[in-house]
Amino acid sequence: MIIESILILLAPLAGGLIYGLERVVRARMQNRQGPPILQPFYDMYKLIEKRSSIVHPMHIVLALLHFITVWAVVALIIFGVNFLYVIFLHLLATMFLVLAGFSVKSVYSHIGSNRELLAMLAYEPIFILIATGFYLLNDSYAISLIRSDDAQIISMFLLFLAFLLTIPLKLKKSPFDGCEAHQEIVGGVEIEYSGVYFEILYMAKWLEYVFVYLLLLLFAGNNVVLGSILTIGVFLVVNLVDNSTSRVNMPDTIKIIMGFGLTLSVLNILGLVYV
Amino acid sequence: MSPFLFAILVLFLGVKTRNLLVLFFITSLSFTSLYLFFQNTIYELTLSHEVHIFLYIIDFGLLLYFLYEGIKHKSSLVYFLAFTQLILYTAVIYIAPHIENVDFLSDELSRMMYLVVNIVGGAIVVYALEYIESEEFTRLKKNFFIAMLVFFLGVMNAIVTTNNIEIFFLLFELTTLCSYILIRYRGDDIAVKNSLRALWMNQVGGVAILLALVFSITAYNTVYFSELLKVIDENFLIPVVFLVIAAYVKGAAFPFHNWLLGAMVAPTPVSAILHSATMVKIAPFLILKLSVVFTPALSVMISLFATFVFVGASVMALNRDFFKEVLGLSTIALLSLIIALAALPNEEAKYAAMILLVFHAISKALLFLQAGILEKNHHLKYISDIDTLTDKAPRTLFFIIIGFASLTLPPFGAFISKFLAIEALTQALQQNPLYIFTLLGVIIGSVFLVILYFKIITKLLTKEAFKYTKKENLAFKYKLSSNILFILLLIGIFLISGLDMFEILIPLTLIFIAPFLFKLLSFKNAPRVNEYNCGEKGEFEVGVFNYSLSSNIVQNMMYVAIVMIASHLFFGGVL
Repeated sequence: MIIESILILLAPLAGGLIYGLERVVRARMQNRQGPPILQPFYDMYKLIEKRSSIVHPMHIVLALLHFITVWAVVALIIFGVNFLYVIFLHLLATMFLVLAGFSVKSVYSHIGSNRELLAMLAYEPIFILIATGFYLLNDSYAISLIRSDDAQIISMFLLFLAFLLTIPLKLKKSPFDGCEAHQEIVGGVEIEYSGVYFEILYMAKWLEYVFVYLLLLLFAGNNVVLGSILTIGVFLVVNLVDNSTSRVNMPDTIKIIMGFGLTLSVLNILGLVYV
Repeated sequence: MSPFLFAILVLFLGVKTRNLLVLFFITSLSFTSLYLFFQNTIYELTLSHEVHIFLYIIDFGLLLYFLYEGIKHKSSLVYFLAFTQLILYTAVIYIAPHIENVDFLSDELSRMMYLVVNIVGGAIVVYALEYIESEEFTRLKKNFFIAMLVFFLGVMNAIVTTNNIEIFFLLFELTTLCSYILIRYRGDDIAVKNSLRALWMNQVGGVAILLALVFSITAYNTVYFSELLKVIDENFLIPVVFLVIAAYVKGAAFPFHNWLLGAMVAPTPVSAILHSATMVKIAPFLILKLSVVFTPALSVMISLFATFVFVGASVMALNRDFFKEVLGLSTIALLSLIIALAALPNEEAKYAAMILLVFHAISKALLFLQAGILEKNHHLKYISDIDTLTDKAPRTLFFIIIGFASLTLPPFGAFISKFLAIEALTQALQQNPLYIFTLLGVIIGSVFLVILYFKIITKLLTKEAFKYTKKENLAFKYKLSSNILFILLLIGIFLISGLDMFEILIPLTLIFIAPFLFKLLSFKNAPRVNEYNCGEKGEFEVGVFNYSLSSNIVQNMMYVAIVMIASHLFFGGVL
């Protein structure tokens, strides 16, 4: 209980570290020096000192709710509750973000929110099917049970591949980074936030990293070695792909993820039932 | 039975007495249904032979009235179907066996339906009291409207109780009559046109019930549900299949969906009552009642068809602009979802279907009431016209958001239902691989619905910089009815099992803390700025995105639906 609570409190920091590490790794892949690992935290300091202007309070409150909900999601995963429930709670978190984006009358913010909604169309079914897959194996959705069980990555390999497809979308990495595409729509939902209020959204993004990697760890079950290999491996692969691909537009993103991801998931589930 | 007498009484009263009386009546009705719900006794009632004869006469009168309407409005379909029903009905009476059995039977399912019909329906009637006063009709016509609504509730109460398929047919036709009269209430061309369409489509359901009766009598020699479900042979489910088809008609499944969409021309309380508490709820009720005898093949067929409608209607709703039409299509979608769940073989799925039935009624009623308020107070009908509601009507906006959220997000009842449904479907999957399509349909359809609802909410929510919220004034009865439904939604969460307490409380606090935070945190110190627009000066209007389906696809979907319904007969009878 105490260990879990500490983990939950540290979750945003861990997210920040992953984010910092990612920038270093990406830079090294491009033969650059890159910023220090702690750069996200320096950024945080800088943001707090900046003059923070707002459009209207509701906009800020919704971002705050988004942040709290994502944190709650991470906390519940660490506590090991119902997987399916966690996915739906994460949906609630995403909805707060979407509402925040739409609550201001700004073109870029609206496009960002819109794409966020579309992205949800692509990854949500896959997440639910992953939960279904675990249910078929364990007769329960309890995350604690999944974690104490043996690694299921072999029997859920296709679902794992489908999950890999959704990671760039979730973490806004190329080729599926249409949601906030900086050069194109100036950051989407993020655009109307500034200073300390942007910090809220920034930290929520770190928590999304923690969320995704925690889900990834579920595929490793109780196998710590496999878990570390998976985390490092996926981390490197995602960044490599991010560096080496160009952005796919939103309709194609959805077609690719829904087409491949859903087919893989369905095949895997049928396999789990009948093989 | 008392709603019938009461309806007649309401007709001749002044406004104040009428309002008081209706309020009193609705309250007592609600409490009675609550009382019945918590009492686990089964009530039975057998009607005497004379009453049966009397009911026959009413039914003939009703069918003759339909025939007359068909001739009067030169609608050959109405005319033809009424005529077919007359012949079939005569045949049924002629061949019906005279075995006495219980005519009315209130079991667990009907007690649950009482709650939905009386409490949700009651709240809508209260709302209608206020709504109808703002229309320009004569006193008698206004009272007639209220009387019709109350009468409708009465018919619904009877239809969920009856055990006799003949009486079921009569009541089925009576709901058709009610909806016909209410839809054409405004009396203009489009209302008449849509009401006639509703009439003929619902008569298809009537024909289906009569065919079910004919087969039930010839094959099993009974006109009673309880008897039929007991003796029915797995190899000859034709009567059940016809009843299922009748349910599809009432539930406005494809290709019968147009009548429900056409019903929007009526005053908003009518849409509200049709979509939530009455009429369409006959469909899932009937499926739940019949599901005990479904064979695996028929069960798969029904759930596949219903899932197909679920996804189809959700996608179709994405390109509609008329607020009530969007709500209508989402009703069709969710009803099909309930049907799909009700037809599944396992108990959890049936439980999920019942929860969804109740909560869909509450949420939809709440949403339609808000749609009515938008129309009456703000003259807004189309989503693309509704802009920056935050400034004008924060309260209505809040209820709309809650209404939509309660259909998709944790911790509300509809969510719990979907949650249980996914689990139940995973279990069903182990019995039959075809359920993977149902599972996939449920997941994808739900996501489409989320997108649909939030696309609407976001359109309403957009708030400009430097504009401040005004207080919204609402009539007392509007507030009362919305608040009742809202409280029902909240209480309901705690009454159903499915989630742990803390799993409920986390999202609940998150959602309800929001409006308070909006009020509390004003960020006085933060400087306000305008939106960033890349330095462009141009104004921009908030738009909504549409995903349109070509009419070709819609057409094909209808054909698929017809083929699927036809194949029900094949699965029910021959296999």
